[in-house]
Amino acid sequence: MIYSVTSSLFLHIIIILIAVVSLPIFSNERLDTPPIIQVELIEISEKTNVPEISKKQKEKTTIEKEIEKKDTKINQPIMKPKEKKSSEKVLDPAEEELLIEKKIEEKMIQNMPLKKPILKKKDKFDPLKIAELIDQAKDTQTVEEIVEDLDYDSIDSTPSLDKKLTLSEEDAIRAQFMQCWSIPLGIPFDDSMIVKIKIFLDTDGSLARPPEVVQHERMNKPSEKYFRTLAESALRAVRRCDPIKVPDITRYDNWKNIQLNFDPREILRG
Amino acid sequence: MRILFTFLVLINFLSITNSFAIIEIDITEGNREPLPIAITNFFYDSEFEDELQKISVDMKDVMAADLERSGLFKPIDKNAFIQKSRSMHIKPRFEDWRLINSQALVTGELQIESDKLRVEFRLWDTFGEKEIEALVLITTIENWRRISHMIADKIYERLTGESGYFDTRILYVSESGPKNKRIKKLAIMDQDTHNHRYLTSGKELVLTPRFNPVKQEITYLSYFKNLPRVYLLDIQTGIQEVVGDFPGMTFAPRFSPDGNKIIMSLAREGNSDLYVMDMNSRVVERLTDSPAIDTSPSYSPDGKKVTFNSDRGGSQQIYVMDSKGRNQTRISRGTGNYATPVWSPRGDLIAFTKNFKGRYYIGVMRTDGSGERLLTENWYQEAPSWSSNGRVLIFYRETAANDKGEGHSSSIWSIDLTGFNERKVNTPEDASDPSWSRLIQ
Repeated sequence: MIYSVTSSLFLHIIIILIAVVSLPIFSNERLDTPPIIQVELIEISEKTNVPEISKKQKEKTTIEKEIEKKDTKINQPIMKPKEKKSSEKVLDPAEEELLIEKKIEEKMIQNMPLKKPILKKKDKFDPLKIAELIDQAKDTQTVEEIVEDLDYDSIDSTPSLDKKLTLSEEDAIRAQFMQCWSIPLGIPFDDSMIVKIKIFLDTDGSLARPPEVVQHERMNKPSEKYFRTLAESALRAVRRCDPIKVPDITRYDNWKNIQLNFDPREILRG
Repeated sequence: MRILFTFLVLINFLSITNSFAIIEIDITEGNREPLPIAITNFFYDSEFEDELQKISVDMKDVMAADLERSGLFKPIDKNAFIQKSRSMHIKPRFEDWRLINSQALVTGELQIESDKLRVEFRLWDTFGEKEIEALVLITTIENWRRISHMIADKIYERLTGESGYFDTRILYVSESGPKNKRIKKLAIMDQDTHNHRYLTSGKELVLTPRFNPVKQEITYLSYFKNLPRVYLLDIQTGIQEVVGDFPGMTFAPRFSPDGNKIIMSLAREGNSDLYVMDMNSRVVERLTDSPAIDTSPSYSPDGKKVTFNSDRGGSQQIYVMDSKGRNQTRISRGTGNYATPVWSPRGDLIAFTKNFKGRYYIGVMRTDGSGERLLTENWYQEAPSWSSNGRVLIFYRETAANDKGEGHSSSIWSIDLTGFNERKVNTPEDASDPSWSRLIQ
């Protein structure tokens, strides 16, 4: 009796050990991977800030379709802006249109429910697709890094992905300054002819304090008389436009400080 | 897991930091309307009222006309001025000037000191609320017109960023009489057509006058015993001389930027090539040697290159070479014939006349032939000449005669690089072949 119980126990232990070692369901690896994907993607989409688009489910589906049509991976379009890291801060008008399209695309992508397709896969878990999921998890991490790079870049570049104003609000402000700015058309074309001016606004859109030329040291150099003329024309435009019509006051913190990049290069190029 | 968590926390932190980044808005277009500017009558003491009252008004009118003609400024009607007291010359009430939409304000004072006119002027930025230019000029009283041009140049330079071109002169060929018996005289005037005078009597035919960029001297083509010759004329002394003694015809002369050389065409046995003559040593050097007609040479502002036109390719086209005649390259690429290339004083463009399908165009292209832009089109027009700042061109235009041979006329016109600001330059008689001087030294 004791012998049979012992041998039965021994054989059971052997069978259990074999099962633990050989059966894939006991593998730790596959259990760890899916949660990585979910957590990261949820974090990213929650951080984006374009409510008008993200709230509309219809648009979401349209976006998904568009991206499917383009037959691209979810993460690929976000790679595009990285190529622009080295590009000039202010783009040509022709390129600007493209940029706006790209920006919209990027925002849409950011607001996309990226976890959805992955969750579906999880429901129908297939061990053979673990590798694919792991690949996506890696890509997702890359996405985060890229977004991070872009955000840094956009501090000195065209309107950032982390939008504080909608495009139409931005356009409304831009249009006012365009109207106020008399371009000194006599300045010879030069790639460095951009004047950056920081303005600080009160809630009513008036200047809270004098505008600041970011590159003020260039204004005082005798060799930079063209820049000085350009900067003065830009300062006149800022004062001429004072006060400007401003966006929604409830979001005052978003627009109280603005940097205006006065860029006449395309006009001066002739 | 721990590493991943740390990474996420870091990203979160950086995202929060970025939310404080300032919004940037690019302004890549602006208002291209002329800049509104208020030019006031200059003040003067009552003891000089007899002498200075008219000068004060006339100076204001000359400055306003100069600036308005440039197409970049819009002088405001003085009736709109709110502040009229003399204190504006010390400290203007900027809000009054902003109210009438004036972006800049010109004030001044006139005095007579030891029979000399003392002009003090100030330019104010009405939105920046500061003085941006101030100058005192002393001259003879008769010279008030030139002083006005000089002040207009200062205003132009300070507000547009490039040097002005108002204190300059225009040299041209004045024409009168029937077309088959035309009398052609050399004439000179200020760029605003004042101070007009003739330099030659009209006995000999004169063509293609050109200013020396650095001296009060001109070169031109004149026929002597039915042989065209290049002449030099000192405007101040009136002394005239033939440039060189060549076996053939010389024509299309033009000075080098330093004024020390004359580049021209010399024609012999139906072939014409380009030659350059040193004005000091009178040594002549041949630059081109082709069986075609090479003519209309013009130096680049640094004197290192020359543009000219040639029919060596079968049709008249524009070429560029270095100043020694090497590396001759065709730059005009469009259809039609190109002639009279002139290098801009700024160095970035070449102006030309183009003939295409029976119409004549004045245009500009970059020095490599790219970016061709046609500025104006007409029945017949040619011979562009640059303003000293490379922003405006003058040229002449002819109107067709009717069946009876009447109605033919020629006149000088100006156009700026935008192609929109086209104006007629008034002259007492018909006019052709204009040449615009550099700023008077």
